[in-house]
Amino acid sequence: MIKVEHLTKEYKRVVRREGFLGSVRTLFSAQYETIPAVNDISFQIDEGELVGYIGPNGAGKSTSIKMLCGILVPTSGHIQVNGLTPHKDRMKNTRQIGAVFGQKTQLWWDVPVIESLKLFRDIYKVSEAQFKHNMSLFNELLDLHEFQNTPVRQLSLGQRLRADMAAALLHNPRLLFLDEPMIGVDVVAKERLRNFIHEINRDQKVTILLTTHDMVDIEKVCSRIMIIDHGRIVYDGNIAQMRAQYGKQRKLVVEFEETIPDFSVPQATLTHSEGRKKWFAFNRFETTPSTLITQISAQFPILDLAVEEPEIESIVRTIYQRETESTEAETK
Amino acid sequence: MKIFWSFTRQAFQFVSVYRFNFFAEIFLTLLRMYAIYCVWRILYTQRPGAFSVDMGQMITYGVLGMALEIFVWSRPQMYISQQVKSGAIDTDLMKPLDFHLHMLARSTGETLVGASLAVPALIIAYFLLGVNLPPDIGTGLLFLFSLGLGYLVLFHLNFLLGALSVVALDIRHISWAYYSVVRFFGGQMVPLWLFPSFVGIIAGVLPFQSTYYIPMSIYIGKFTGVEAARAIQFQLFWLVVLVLTSRLAWGWAHRRLVVQGG
Amino acid sequence: MEALRLYVRLVRVSMQARLQYRVDFVMGIFSVIALNAISLGMISIIVYRFVSLNGWNIWDLFFLYCLWLLGHSIYSLLFWHFWDLQEYVTQGTFDQFLLRPASIFIQFIGREVQYIGFADASVAVVGLGLAYINLGLHWGVKEWLFFPLVVLSGAVIETTLVLMTACISFWTGRSDMAIDAIMSFNFLVQNYPIDIFGTWFRVIVTSLIPVAFMNYYPALMLLGKSDPQSHWQWLGYMSPVVAIILIAITSVVWHFALRRYSSAGG
Repeated sequence: MIKVEHLTKEYKRVVRREGFLGSVRTLFSAQYETIPAVNDISFQIDEGELVGYIGPNGAGKSTSIKMLCGILVPTSGHIQVNGLTPHKDRMKNTRQIGAVFGQKTQLWWDVPVIESLKLFRDIYKVSEAQFKHNMSLFNELLDLHEFQNTPVRQLSLGQRLRADMAAALLHNPRLLFLDEPMIGVDVVAKERLRNFIHEINRDQKVTILLTTHDMVDIEKVCSRIMIIDHGRIVYDGNIAQMRAQYGKQRKLVVEFEETIPDFSVPQATLTHSEGRKKWFAFNRFETTPSTLITQISAQFPILDLAVEEPEIESIVRTIYQRETESTEAETK
Repeated sequence: MKIFWSFTRQAFQFVSVYRFNFFAEIFLTLLRMYAIYCVWRILYTQRPGAFSVDMGQMITYGVLGMALEIFVWSRPQMYISQQVKSGAIDTDLMKPLDFHLHMLARSTGETLVGASLAVPALIIAYFLLGVNLPPDIGTGLLFLFSLGLGYLVLFHLNFLLGALSVVALDIRHISWAYYSVVRFFGGQMVPLWLFPSFVGIIAGVLPFQSTYYIPMSIYIGKFTGVEAARAIQFQLFWLVVLVLTSRLAWGWAHRRLVVQGG
Repeated sequence: MEALRLYVRLVRVSMQARLQYRVDFVMGIFSVIALNAISLGMISIIVYRFVSLNGWNIWDLFFLYCLWLLGHSIYSLLFWHFWDLQEYVTQGTFDQFLLRPASIFIQFIGREVQYIGFADASVAVVGLGLAYINLGLHWGVKEWLFFPLVVLSGAVIETTLVLMTACISFWTGRSDMAIDAIMSFNFLVQNYPIDIFGTWFRVIVTSLIPVAFMNYYPALMLLGKSDPQSHWQWLGYMSPVVAIILIAITSVVWHFALRRYSSAGG
């Protein structure tokens, strides 16, 4: 579906000189530096995949998405979306993709939602039958009929996002870009949107690229995750693998029959103690839960226990940190 | 007093960041000055007697009027209406500051910035278009005094419009028409003594002439002695009326905001 | 054709959007009528004392102003939002246009509609009508055919000039002051016959920023004006030519502006 090879995007920026004299000199002889926003990335996404795309701000996420959409022209490298080159075959490519931007709506602000949708129907040349079919689908999954006659400016954030989703899918695109679609949305609405995304991907086989900062979205919805940092892809694989590779630390939560003073266990660290519960962190490669349990229960009677997997968030943070360190080492 | 300087400084910073704006504004002013200069010059050659002043005075009047266009820059009513619309008016009302004075300080700061644009434009106009200087120092000082009064009168008129925005919400469009009225009855381009009878009578009682007409007539020497004194009295009269009206109007508007929640 | 249909469709939605704000609509119309009335009042007062301005009497001047206003009304009705191009570019609204399978240009120009144009147009028509009667004009087929062409050309001239200047924002992020500066020449041209201004001015508004073709030159021809302006009358016929030239230049500028956007982003 998507094939990206050695994609690079560089921006020219004026080097700002210090002080007043510096700015005068800049006026006469500006010096430029090239900043690589996206630096030689390559990946492939097959049809029907639901990929999570994450990275810190300024990592190159939106730049790469813009290139995939055909908005930005790459400095070098190749992109193929379903056989088309986005920026060259703009008209054709836009018919097969859809996008939802969490922070900006694509709908007309002052008119009822349905008017925007009708306008999209005309622009994308959606057949009447297809339109009716999709509208009933949206009514069913998104409750669109509840607010389709309301002007967009009067909608709540959750409603607006649902309307944007409908607009993005109206023309049955093969590929859907979701750029932070759930920012600021309440928990209930989020769950609903996640389910919707999941269903669209599963039933309609729509390939989805989801950009988000919320790790819960990734965990619940995506099978594969790509992490971009400083313009480079630093991880590309499925989540279980990521956990296995980077998530060394697990936690054993033990609830004792009575409150006991803190104690130590070999190859584990006591991180937290609350009432009758204690949290032990351990490295999955150094020991196993069963070993620890045997050691602990030998000392004190255990009432209840649980094993906590490493949070995706901390794993990702580790990956970011590692990348920052290596980039800093490179520039030195 | 401190607040006043801080607003002025803010306004200056704003202008210095947008350097291009600065030069563009001066250019616009000069263009307008050139226009009025050409108009009056041609008309003067057509019928010299019709003006009741000489050409130099007439051109000075017109050019000065264009320079003072920047006067009209400060728009307290736009600030008020924006704050009301966005709800941020609450933060203004919560400040331990008399709102009226707060607006005055802000507006004065902005106007001083405008003045700093007017001065270079006037200097250029002096050399290129033959603008007169005031006949003597006394007249010059009187002019500045009258100009100050005119500014305050205009400020309060704007302030009243701002109070209106509490009810009417969007005054953007009304503002355009309002400014046309201010310029017209203020005699920015055409001095009131050239107005035909019935329009002249109306213009004579309205406060707008305090803004341009009175100070500029003093400057070119059209108003002297008794006439000048009477004109200044007129300004003072309107100033007092408007200050009182403004305070009343804002008191009412304030209550309305508090009750209705902005 | 295709582009026109899309444009009409977009304009219909834009009008619907505007009509949502009824009170604003009405107030806006009255304010603009008042604004124009005061401008005309100003001209009247000047002429009242002096009978004519360099050979242009009050009805001549009304005609001049209203001819400009009629062309301008089309611009203010349909293309007022060109001023916002700098925002579209910096806020990323422009991205949306690139995401849809339709002409980016048409999507942009059809984005908004402003009812102010109706107010301008009504004042202009009334003013032109009054001038026509009071001047005792008797236009033949030639003038009646040419008149709408002049108005359309006027609209095109103003629109293309504003659009070209607004495109600066693709490179610098801002264009409002530039538009103000360039269109400031408008202010003089709309109110006064340019023959009262110096040569340098006339050259600028004829060749560089050709707003004089919106009203002055066509007026010379339509009013049948004689010496000393008569030898410029033929330029009155050139308004449509100027309009076409400007369209050509603007499409080149637009092309480069889009290229810039694709390579440098918002």
